[in-house]
Amino acid sequence: MTALLHENAPFGPRDDAAFLAEINALTAAHIAGCGPYARVWPAFEAADSVEQLPWLHVGLFKSLEFRTESAEVQHERVLNSSATSSGVASRIVLDRESSALQAASSLAILRDFVGDSKRPLVVLDSARSLVSRDVSARVAAAMSLKPLASDLHFILADAGDPGSVKWDVLSGLLDEHDELLVYGFTWMLWLAWADDVLPDSIRRALAGKRVQFVHSGGWKKLESLSVDHATFNARLTDGLAAGSRVTDFYGLVEQVGIVYPLCEAGWRHVPVWADVLVRDPWTLASLVDAPGQLQLMNTLARGAPYHNVLTEDLGRIVPGACECGRAGKRFELLGRVPKAEVRGCANV
Amino acid sequence: MSEALHRFAGPGGVVAVALPVPYGDLIEGWGELRRRMLRDVAPGFSRDEWAYLATFLDPSSLRGHFARNFGESVEGDGAAVSALYRPRGEIAVWLPNNVSLLGPLTLVLLSLTGQPVRLKRGSSAEDLAGAFVRYAIDKLDDGPLRRLLESRVTAETFGRDDPRNAELAASAAVRIVFGSDAAARAVHALPHPLDSVGFSFTDRRSEAWLDRDSLDDDTLADLVRVFTIYGQAGCTSPRRVVLLDGSEGEVAALAGRLAEVWARVAQGRVPMNIASDTVKADQWARALGWQTRVVGENGGLLAWGSAGLGEFEGHMALSVQGATVAQAFEQLPANIQTVGHALSSPDDPDLLRRLARSKVLRFVPLATMHHFDSTWDGQAFWKGCFEVTETG
Repeated sequence: MTALLHENAPFGPRDDAAFLAEINALTAAHIAGCGPYARVWPAFEAADSVEQLPWLHVGLFKSLEFRTESAEVQHERVLNSSATSSGVASRIVLDRESSALQAASSLAILRDFVGDSKRPLVVLDSARSLVSRDVSARVAAAMSLKPLASDLHFILADAGDPGSVKWDVLSGLLDEHDELLVYGFTWMLWLAWADDVLPDSIRRALAGKRVQFVHSGGWKKLESLSVDHATFNARLTDGLAAGSRVTDFYGLVEQVGIVYPLCEAGWRHVPVWADVLVRDPWTLASLVDAPGQLQLMNTLARGAPYHNVLTEDLGRIVPGACECGRAGKRFELLGRVPKAEVRGCANV
Repeated sequence: MSEALHRFAGPGGVVAVALPVPYGDLIEGWGELRRRMLRDVAPGFSRDEWAYLATFLDPSSLRGHFARNFGESVEGDGAAVSALYRPRGEIAVWLPNNVSLLGPLTLVLLSLTGQPVRLKRGSSAEDLAGAFVRYAIDKLDDGPLRRLLESRVTAETFGRDDPRNAELAASAAVRIVFGSDAAARAVHALPHPLDSVGFSFTDRRSEAWLDRDSLDDDTLADLVRVFTIYGQAGCTSPRRVVLLDGSEGEVAALAGRLAEVWARVAQGRVPMNIASDTVKADQWARALGWQTRVVGENGGLLAWGSAGLGEFEGHMALSVQGATVAQAFEQLPANIQTVGHALSSPDDPDLLRRLARSKVLRFVPLATMHHFDSTWDGQAFWKGCFEVTETG
């Protein structure tokens, strides 16, 4: 069930029939091995189109722990989403085979955007985050870049404190290398690096270096600080060598292994082992070239039925070919489903 | 402000209530505002909320709070007085971020004491109480009520960690907290005058109980209307409907009828996040083994099933189950507030005995589940704003 991943470049021509066959088989395995999922979709039969495939609302993974049992599945760790406005994290049960597939998938996608020259990977997180048995989204995203790195450096003393950067570590790396790969959550990258906080010595050491910044996690916190993409990118790359770049990728723990970097033309591309639909929130009809809720699916997830989820993000499928040259489906991310006030009696 | 002494005859004799402003003047002011409210709806209020607020301001309804708490009004000053009530003093009210109409309703009741009222709301809250005060000041002619609202009512916005919380608690003779258990504990833990009193209106749940003799369309429409005003977010909204002695088939049939009534009663599309939440609730319920039916365009959810199924949440999700009376009492949540009923014999002695042993705070007809009164959550908070001098 992994031919699409193993035999294709991520953004080559799509084989929709092969994708449908793979994801139908994967769905059947989840129906057979996960009772709660089967209760949600009791009448499943192989779908004739991706629109007909069973999916789960992404919010369910905050409420229930889904797990698909099968002789072939060896469950391992649990992946937790980052903190959300609800304060409740999604919990995704990982398994050995899927983890390998997911690592290969994210590597293939990220390589397409940041290249594969080996350079030190600087992570705006604490090394202590690696110790926990439960994996955070931030660590999972950082580790997806590890195969593209010569070595790995966590430079925060405190994972939650952007003021705890170990500048001496960064200084040492800049003394020895002309290229760096830097990963952080969007808000952390801004507060710890871009927001006029670099010591003068680091700023001088960075001048003329080629740095690829990769970030994820969304813009919500930066919007409250009135920071836009252009300002963010300009601040990060100020004074750096040509070829330095900032790559913003969109991903969910419920779709681990699939990341959607923003391409040079401003769109997000769907790898051939994944698919994206947009649904009308009220009718759930599939939409093209109109905004609605994003539905994300892939053929990688074996340990639990998170292979096909309806998100609470808004997007639009963009028809036509992309100037960046990548083939296949592309979409625009439009933000979160707006939260209308829910009025009650006793807010917690 | 001049002091007015009012007399009321209750079961224990005649009591006197000292107020800084004659309560009749204040009620007359609210009545004047009520007439003006019929012409428009203040920003931030839904039409349902505005209509309920206008009804609440009916002068005879407001006089009823005095009658229920002190007795019938007595003219003249000849009768012997057995007790003298006087307001305790400044009242501080903590409103949570998503508080409903309870904020303005509480404010109206508190205004009748004539005491200074300080309203604190969270920084992200839509300020219904403050908005209503501003609306009233804008619309009222000069008079006792307008002067009271201008001079003695303040609405402030600050967070839970702000030092002004301590100032409020330190100066208030009465603390009223709407919010979570933790928020109420935190407020009452702040240093406060030893002779002050505190009331907490915390997270509560409610249910609706029906029997098979009461399942007419009007009753079901009442149930749907009561639920859809606040959905699961309302402490007085029924999260669960219990069909007493209902079989599985009767429960499923009731859910089906409710879905049909809901589709007729519903007004337009729900917001996008509520539609998405309904989709989630539907899948959550089914994953746990409930049968479900989505109403309208993801506007709401009815779920039915047997006892013992796991709980699920959804802003517009209403569950329906069958139970005997004994089971219904056993299954009540620990934080039960209101049981709204549509029963052929709600005053059945056995039911009342079981009610007495339960933690149910309100057992009221279905259509009045949201009705706010001077006794709330089992606490006579409005009368608690007064202290008493024995004179008999």
